[in-house]
Amino acid sequence: MSVFTPDLISGLISNFIQFILLLLLAPLSGGIIKKVKALSQKRKGAPVLQMYFDLWKLIRKESVVSDTASWIFKVTPYIVFSASATAALLVPVTTLLPSAVSGDILLLIYLLALGRFFMCLSALDTGSTFGGMGASRESMISALIEPSMLVSVFTVGLISGSTAIDEMMAAMRTIGNPLLHPVYILCFFAMIIIILAETSRIPVDDPSTHLELTMVHEAMLLEYSGRQLALMEYGAAIKQLIFLTLLVNLFLPTDQLIALAGISGASAAVDAVGVAGITAGAGAAGAVTGTAASAVSAAAVIVALVLYILKIILASLVIAVTEISTVKFRFFSIPNLAALSFILAFLGFLQYFVLGR
Amino acid sequence: MNKQESNSNKIKPNESHAGITALQEEVHARFPELAKSEIHGNTLYLEANAASYQTICKDLNGQFAFPLVSMFASDDRARTGCFNIHTVFANRQSGILISVALPIDPSTCAFPSLCDLIPAAALYEREIHDLFGLRPMGHPNPKRLVFHGNWPKNQYPLRKEFPADQRPDFTDEKIEFTRIDGEGVYEIPVGPVHAGIIEPGHFRFSLAGEPILNLEAQLYFVHKGIEKLIEGKTIEHGFYLSERISGDETFTNSLTYCQAVEKIAGIQVPARASYTRVLFAELERVTSHLGDLAGICQDVAYGFASYQFKMLRGWSYRIADELCGMRFLRSVNTPGGIRRDFIHGKGKNLTRLLTELKKELTETEAIVMHNSLFIDRIENTGILKNKIAVDLNATGPGGRASGVDFDVRKAFPYEVYAALSFEVPVQSDGDVSSRMKVKLAECFQSISLMQQVLERIPQGIVKEEIGILKPYHSAYGLTEAPRGENIHYIMTGENNTILRYKVRTPSFCSWPALCHAVSGNIVPDFPLINKSFNLSYAGNDL
Repeated sequence: MSVFTPDLISGLISNFIQFILLLLLAPLSGGIIKKVKALSQKRKGAPVLQMYFDLWKLIRKESVVSDTASWIFKVTPYIVFSASATAALLVPVTTLLPSAVSGDILLLIYLLALGRFFMCLSALDTGSTFGGMGASRESMISALIEPSMLVSVFTVGLISGSTAIDEMMAAMRTIGNPLLHPVYILCFFAMIIIILAETSRIPVDDPSTHLELTMVHEAMLLEYSGRQLALMEYGAAIKQLIFLTLLVNLFLPTDQLIALAGISGASAAVDAVGVAGITAGAGAAGAVTGTAASAVSAAAVIVALVLYILKIILASLVIAVTEISTVKFRFFSIPNLAALSFILAFLGFLQYFVLGR
Repeated sequence: MNKQESNSNKIKPNESHAGITALQEEVHARFPELAKSEIHGNTLYLEANAASYQTICKDLNGQFAFPLVSMFASDDRARTGCFNIHTVFANRQSGILISVALPIDPSTCAFPSLCDLIPAAALYEREIHDLFGLRPMGHPNPKRLVFHGNWPKNQYPLRKEFPADQRPDFTDEKIEFTRIDGEGVYEIPVGPVHAGIIEPGHFRFSLAGEPILNLEAQLYFVHKGIEKLIEGKTIEHGFYLSERISGDETFTNSLTYCQAVEKIAGIQVPARASYTRVLFAELERVTSHLGDLAGICQDVAYGFASYQFKMLRGWSYRIADELCGMRFLRSVNTPGGIRRDFIHGKGKNLTRLLTELKKELTETEAIVMHNSLFIDRIENTGILKNKIAVDLNATGPGGRASGVDFDVRKAFPYEVYAALSFEVPVQSDGDVSSRMKVKLAECFQSISLMQQVLERIPQGIVKEEIGILKPYHSAYGLTEAPRGENIHYIMTGENNTILRYKVRTPSFCSWPALCHAVSGNIVPDFPLINKSFNLSYAGNDL
């Protein structure tokens, strides 16, 4: 007699596999963004896998800690990393797989907020000028963006009738194409702004700047080195991937795409497993495959995972293009951006009551 | 033939010379007590005494509206038994410099300050105090400028008895900064070591939240002692030092040096050399401006535009490499002309490269200046008011963006600029956007100037012998550096050496202007404003 029923065990195994997948993929999306930006600037740019090399290099390096730093400075990298990693556990890569751990999206948001809180504390801890500046700016941005994040998440939760992440994602099956649903469109764009702000990207912050006076996120990491820096950077990369995963899985659900392709049914020519979908699809609405969403076969899971990776690449491209075509906003214009995001989310919220599901 | 040519050019019977005699008479009528007044070329040398010095300077600046362009001391105790303060004003309408000398008795070591009359004098007087130990009496803020707290008291390196290789015993004193008090006001120290690869400078911001209340720049971390090093060196040796004042202003500094030497020697460089110099000077300007434009775009995270300008800057370096094999244009000039005929046989290729550069720059400008997000970022940022620009003598693109319609190439035409057609772009808003527009427009003007040079350059020799210079003669070299008005003063000593060399680069005047432009803006905008001026640290610190 054990609580470990076969269902639970398979759920845990699948959760663990998805968790590992997230951790492994995390540094990739930043690499893709950098590569695309470099190509737009007529540069070759660093390899897409550069961040993996960097992390490997940093982990083997010694950490230098300021004499004035307290314990907060030393524990923060571990807290930031564990907060991000724990949050990663809650995010299903695909809803086709069974899941044993079901996380609430509020838990996820505040796990990430915990990491950020300690990051701000550690930035203040060393007493360096830029750390304090970065911490104050980061707090301001996150305070501004939090309302719109909550509203957009709640709106999606209203439709799906739950704030559990896997249920929210699973609910997409009944929506039709979410991107044709007005509530979702509004929340989708609100979410993109939220992601730009949360992951310190242009136009809110410039991840590649060397100017200490303009830094936000980077300013808080200035004092870190070696393994501690690796953990902080890795934590930030995981956080970025979590947000991208939420975006693509909530608004471009894989099984939805598969089903959509089944309806459009275009090509009878494609084989039943639907591997061909990869070539045409690139994760966008036009994925062509013949598998029905309900048939949870091993092949469908593989297709779903491949589609997931393609969707992440697509989302990274969207971020890269946004970064290329905008410039960093004046610091005091960020409230406008946050307000825009909030308004979009709130309109979505109101739409829900007009249109219902 | 050369001899004849040089003789005929010694005194240029042109308008400016006529103007200078009239000016001399006018000045004499007003100040009959002047001890001395001489004319050399376009410069009127006056000598005042302690009693009349302030009145003369005030009138030249106030009544005649001649801006103060340079001020420095010289140690002439060996010759005349006293120090001299040289205060230089410029008549920019007719291209005349007025240099007022004031002998200072070594027993008092003090001179009346001009600060309350001429704001621009403040920095010069502090510099004189640090280097010569001459006290400006009545200076409102006589703190150190060149030296930091650790320099021992009563050590004045530009006095002749101070050996150039002497290392003083440094003290432990710290620099005092202006403190702003008030609720919630705090300071942030930035530098001298920065996160990016830039020159060292310390900035002390006083802030209330993000807005900047006051910025104090502590520079002189790259003080190399150029003026001291060059004393006693030969003209030839001094030339190499002048090239190394600042890496990105190599050519303009060497050109200004050569101009001063050539004025003393009384020679005119051959036409081919003169055209070649214009080509190189404009090439340096384009390179410098393109770097600035790239920097402005980089600082607002406009990656595409930044790399586009960087690429174009690379192209202009390639042109320099093609011309002389040295991207930073060292050893191109030489007193008396240029080292060899750099343009010979390269005209066609150069024309092609310039056309390409112009085409790409036109396209880039169209994209960049129509990006509304970018425009929003640079407009109304870092406004330098016209009044401040005029009072502090901010020249170059920084001044022209604030409505100071002045360009040395027009006002004091040198080399063959008078024969070439070009416009001086002027804007009036004084913000980052104006400076960017001025720099963009200047790039096009410079490219056009280079094309004109390639069309018109005559054949002939490229170098004139300067021979041995007469001792105790002085002259001012005056050129338009990429950053603005560049003035070098040379006084020769015995045996073809240099007795006193004073460099005043445009950056020296523009740094205080930058500090003014920054106040009221927010901290994250400082790098952008700083980059839009892009002042030289090495050129200021000397």
